[in-house]
Parts: sequence; C-alpha cells; structure tokens
Amino acid sequence: MKRLYFVFAAFLVASMVLAACGTAATPTASAPATQAPATQAPATQAPATQAPAAAVPAVCSTDAGGCAVFKPDQTIKIGMGAPMTGDNAAFGTDISQAGKLAVSDAGKFQGFSFELDAQDDGGTGEGGAAVANKFVADPQVVAIEGHIFSGATAAAIPIYEPKNIPMMSPSATNPTLTTTGSKVFNRNVFTDGKQGKFDAEYLYNTLKITDLAVMHDGSAYGQGIAQVVNDSFKALGGNVVAFQAITPGESDYSAVLADVASKKPGAIYYGGYTAEAVILVNEMKAAGLGSAIFFSDDGIYGQDFLDRTKANGEGVYATSAPLPPESPAKTTFDAAYLAAYGTAAGKLSTYTWNAYDAAAVLIKDIESVAVLGGDGNLYIPRAALVAAVRATKDYQGISGVITCDPTGECSASNPILNEVKNGGWIVVP
Amino acid sequence: MPSAKAPARRVSTYKIVQTVLGILFAGYLLWRLYVVFIGNPAYGSDTWARFIISGVILGSVYALIAIGYTLVYGILRMINFAHGDIMMIGAFGGYFVFEALKAIPAPTLTDPKFTFSDAHPIIAVLLAFIVGSSIAALSGFFLEKIAYRPLRGAPRLVPLISAIGASIFLENAGQLLFGTQRRDYANPLILTRGDGWNLPIGGATVILPYTGVLTLVVSILLMVGLYLLVMRTRLGRSMRAVAENKQVAALMGIDVDGIISRTFIISGALAGAAGVMWGIHLGLVYYYVGFLPGIKAFTAAVLGGIGSVPGAMLGGLFLGLVESLGPAILGISFQLKDVIAFAILVLVLIFRPTGIVGEVLTEEKV
Repeated sequence: MKRLYFVFAAFLVASMVLAACGTAATPTASAPATQAPATQAPATQAPATQAPAAAVPAVCSTDAGGCAVFKPDQTIKIGMGAPMTGDNAAFGTDISQAGKLAVSDAGKFQGFSFELDAQDDGGTGEGGAAVANKFVADPQVVAIEGHIFSGATAAAIPIYEPKNIPMMSPSATNPTLTTTGSKVFNRNVFTDGKQGKFDAEYLYNTLKITDLAVMHDGSAYGQGIAQVVNDSFKALGGNVVAFQAITPGESDYSAVLADVASKKPGAIYYGGYTAEAVILVNEMKAAGLGSAIFFSDDGIYGQDFLDRTKANGEGVYATSAPLPPESPAKTTFDAAYLAAYGTAAGKLSTYTWNAYDAAAVLIKDIESVAVLGGDGNLYIPRAALVAAVRATKDYQGISGVITCDPTGECSASNPILNEVKNGGWIVVP
Repeated sequence: MPSAKAPARRVSTYKIVQTVLGILFAGYLLWRLYVVFIGNPAYGSDTWARFIISGVILGSVYALIAIGYTLVYGILRMINFAHGDIMMIGAFGGYFVFEALKAIPAPTLTDPKFTFSDAHPIIAVLLAFIVGSSIAALSGFFLEKIAYRPLRGAPRLVPLISAIGASIFLENAGQLLFGTQRRDYANPLILTRGDGWNLPIGGATVILPYTGVLTLVVSILLMVGLYLLVMRTRLGRSMRAVAENKQVAALMGIDVDGIISRTFIISGALAGAAGVMWGIHLGLVYYYVGFLPGIKAFTAAVLGGIGSVPGAMLGGLFLGLVESLGPAILGISFQLKDVIAFAILVLVLIFRPTGIVGEVLTEEKV
C-alpha cells in the first residue's frame, strides 16, 4: 500500500514537472509572436489609417522598424540593464546615476522629456535577457544604455536586434560582442582584447614576471579577458603555469589557491569581479602566495575592493577606464554629480564619464531622427535611429571624442593601470 | 505471485552493476593515487598540508551544520531545508556583536586604535558565539512552531514544502533586513584572517590560520558536548526514545512536542555557532551565505547516514576533504569540485544506501 502511494506520488511529481515545463514553454514561445504585432501595430498600421490626415511623417512608412509614437504627455525612455543589487551593485548605481544626469542635462526636446529606466539585471545572462524582454515589450523604450556587464549584454543583444533598439554600452568590454555582426550594439569603452594585451605586456615587460597563473570566474567577461591574457602572455614568451577557473559565489577558495601556489607563479592574473577577487586576495597569504603579485582587470577596480581587502590589498594591480582629460565640461559634471549623490564622480567605478557620454550620445541621436507629427505626437523611426547611433561621428564627450566604426566600437581610449598603495588606488604612470 | 520473482532478478543485475562499477572506480582511484604520489608527483608535501588544512576546517563547519539536519531527521523524518538560513541568522548575530564591540574604544599606550574586541578577544568571541547561537536557537524554535508543528501528522511531502518555503522566507527577510551587500566580520586583532602559526613542511612554510584552529576546536567541543548530551542525559534519552518511536515514547510519559521543540533549539544553536565560525574564518556574511553550506551539509548528512550523529560528523569532514583533495587527486579543474563531491555521494549511495555509518531502518520508520 505504502509502495503504491509512493509510485503515485512520483507520478504526481513527474506530471507536475512536465506540466510546469509545458506551461513555461508556451508563453515564451508565443510571447514574441503576440507581442510583435502589439508593439508594431501602431507603427505599421498607423500610417495606413492616419496618412490621409497627414499627421504621420512619411519616414514612418518607409522605416524598416516603424516608428515609436509618443503622445504629448509621454516621456521618451532610454532603458538600462545593470546590476543594481548584490555584490556588484556599485557599477549599476554609478552608471545609472551618471546616465540620469545626462538625461536631466538634455532637458526637453520639442516639449517631450527623456527618462532613464534602469532595471536590475544582476549582471547575469538570465537577468540581461529578462530585462531586455521587458524593454522590448515597452513601446516607449527607443534606445538602451548598456547593458553594463558583458554576460548580460551578450544575452540582450539578440533580443533588441529584431526590434531595432540601438544600444550604447559604457562598460561591456568582452571582445566578441562586436564581432557577431550586430547592427544595434555599440560601446564607448575599450575592449578586453586591448585590455588583456596591455595587462600581459605590463606583467611581462615591466614587472618581469616569467611564470604567471591565470584564474577566472567562468563569466563571459572574466573568462574572455583571462583567455586574452593567457594567449598574449604566451606570445610574449612567458610561461603560464596554471589556468584555473573558480566557481563564483563561494566563500572559500583556499584549496584552489593551494593548487596554484604549488606551481610557484610570480603573479596571479584574475579575470572577474570584485566579490571573488576580494576572497582570493584575502586568502592568498595563507595559501602560500604571500610573495605573488595579484593583477586583475577593470571588474575589481573601485572603492569596494579597498574596503574589503584593507591591508591585504596593498600592491594589487588593476586596470580601469582612463580618467578623462580635465575640461570645463568635466568640472561641471563632477560638481553636479557630487551635489546630486554625495560621492565624487569616479569613486564607485571609473565608468561614470563613459556612462554620461553614452546617454548623451543616445539622446543626441534620438533628437536627430525624431520628427514632430502634424497631430502633435512625436515620431521616432526605429531603424533610422539604429543607423544614426552607428553613424555617430566626432561627438565631443567628457571622456573624449566618440566616433563609431562600422562594427560599433566607439572608443579610441586605452585602459590605464592602477596599484593599491596606502589604502588607495594610485595610477601607475 | 509473479511480482515476487521480478524484484529478485532486479537485485541480481543491480549487484552485477554495483560490482563492476566498484571495481572500475577503485581501479581508477588507485591509478590516480599512483600517478599523483609516485608516478608523476604534482604537489609537494606543503601543498598537501594546505589542502588538508583547508578541507578539515571547512569540513568541521559542514559537520556542525549536518548534525542539525540529522537530529531533526532522526526525530521527525523530515529534511529541514531552512537549516542553512538559520545558520545565516546566527552569522549575522555574531556580526552585530563584533560591530558593537568594535565601536567601544579601549585605547592602550601603544595603539590608540585598540577596541574592546581587540583588548578582550576571548570575551568578544565568546559573546559572539553566545549571541549568534541564541538567536539561531530562537529562530529554530519559532521555525518549528510556525512552519512544522501545524503540519504534524500531514503526509511527508507537506512539511518538506513548508521547509522550502520557510527557507525562501528567511532568505528574503535577511535581504530586507540586512541588504544585499556582503559584510565583513570585524575580527579581534589577534584573529586577523590569514594570520597563523608558520609550520615548516616540505621546505616551505605552511600557515595554519588561528581562525581555522578556533573553528576546528570549537566544533569538536560542540560535537563532543552534543554526543554527551544525546548519550548521557535525560533529555538525550528522551530524544532517542522519540526518534525510536513517538507513540511509545508518549506512552512512557515523554512530552513529545517538548522534545521536538528542544531538538530544534539544539540544532539551531549548532547552526548559529557554525554561522559565527563561518564569519570569523571566511569573513563574509550576507543574506544568502547559508544556502551553499546548507546544501553541502545536507549532502554530508546523507553521506554519513542521515539520522546518525557520528555519521553527520564523519560525513562533514569527509566532504570537506573531498572538496579540497578530490580535484587534486583526480587531476581535474577545481571548478568541478562539487561534481566530485556529488559523484561520491552517488557512489556511496549505490554501495551503502544508508550512508557510511547509517542505521538500517525498520520498515515502520521508513
């Protein structure tokens, strides 16, 4: 009897699982199908019905993506997917704050105001896809600043692509993001290809490291840059003695560090973010790596790393986005940022100025393609906007001149190197 | 009956599969051990010492948490999935004690930045353990009262679902109360993480961290204390009686509900102590800190034989060592250490379904 009961329970569980899969699969499969007409309906059908009134600009009927329509009381939304909670929240907070300042500086356009809608994607691929699906379902979102982390960005690009929503990321540095032929993705930041090569050269040429251990957290960003460093360091003639991945989110990495220590590396290169880097740095000494240099990427740079490593962090190297040259625009922005949020610009992350520029470029491009219709509505042709963002040329931003190449790389800047000295990040000349 | 024949044949094929798997696995393990130690030694003795230190310390924390799973399972035949989150509550209890003590200045002539916890580390650590354990014990008590007691007598799946719900509730409550940021444990100066005794092993210095030794000593003391409690006291006898048979225990005049409450208090206190150790040794606490250790400790409890206290202790230590030594011996990436741990769980369950020292359950208990 009891056995029968269990068999029945097992069936029940199995059927529940199957049912759950079934119901979960149906909406995802049908959602794009039902949403696509819903969002495009005003764009594709509107010209047909309203054309006689001559209210709708002609460009809407020829634009491949149709037009986003704004009634006089609606705001033009720029979406942002960023880690707003959790270990890496500092990046999302900083970048969204800078973006919001750009939005408020832009003021009103033809009586319409802009809005930055920052949503939490946790920096993960799943989160990035979820946020992207939310944005494409919102007809008021015309452009995306972001996403912030490479993994989330990679998941989001294919969702924006068919909807003609252009992106401008101030911080997603994974090299492969621009090699897939995406027409919507652009970034005004250097790539990890550049960053990794720079790091490997500094380790080999300046620090005279011959035996390097490379570690990463398995994320699109961390593994990507670790691979570049690995390859470039070997190409320079160096010796990579260990290439280890760690599981992000754990609290103890002493075993893997002991393994790395047994290979006696002169330095560890870590590709990843602050949360795990802090644990690694704090445990290095006990694992027998007291004399090895810890060298990492722009994912660990920031105040958070210093607060949580304290004395253990001394002598750690990390690359970061370069500080922008001094200019009146930067001085004004820095003062506004400090006044609005109580922290100095660039303290939470170094993407502050990039973030401002990315939002400002998107707003400028939206303004350049938007057309005020005869009915008082604002029409933004989506495909034209995608092309306009890619065609950005000689835009003078705070971080420098922004010119996008045909693949969507809009930054000419190089990473800079920082070292922790006396509890603060010091730029290494 | 035809059904009587079928199981008999199934058992024999199962036995064959079992034996073949056993020979294959043992052969592979022996070959790997030969390669790693004799054929092509990958590590010096200093590295092995580091692996063992890391594994034993982590294992002792797993063991302490695993005891909570096993105690509750022994008495209620249910898995308390919220146990890891009770550990998180204990870890936060200790965190706030250290934060409070850090705020009390106790300047000396040599160091004006000295605080109370630096000056009296024993009192500070003791206080952290007492507060952390008490809060966790209290949470365990209310958890049982709210989430499990109303479901006493319901089918076994029902309290299991309630446990998962309680776990999610506690995690989210922690997130609301303490935020999502990881926080650093403010250890007393003498327990600075990463400091320890320098042992000369194999031509290198291996650091035996103070925090790790503290963790190990405290968890051994607590385990011995628990063993004595279960085996030598009146309460322990009642607990064993309730675990054996609730109805008969009630007939003998034992307050079954009271014993169940006390079991949750004890397992909560142990989880709280484990949480404080986790904080002192590894340093970071946040709302999700209990999840992974909770799952690992559950694995350890099953590995050792769920329902058995010595089994949980052994299972915890075994799992800790497998996690640090497994990838090294098998020569694969450390990212796969959980795969090894769970593969070993599967193997143990194939060969000894009751765990390493598990009891053979009577049909009625099952």
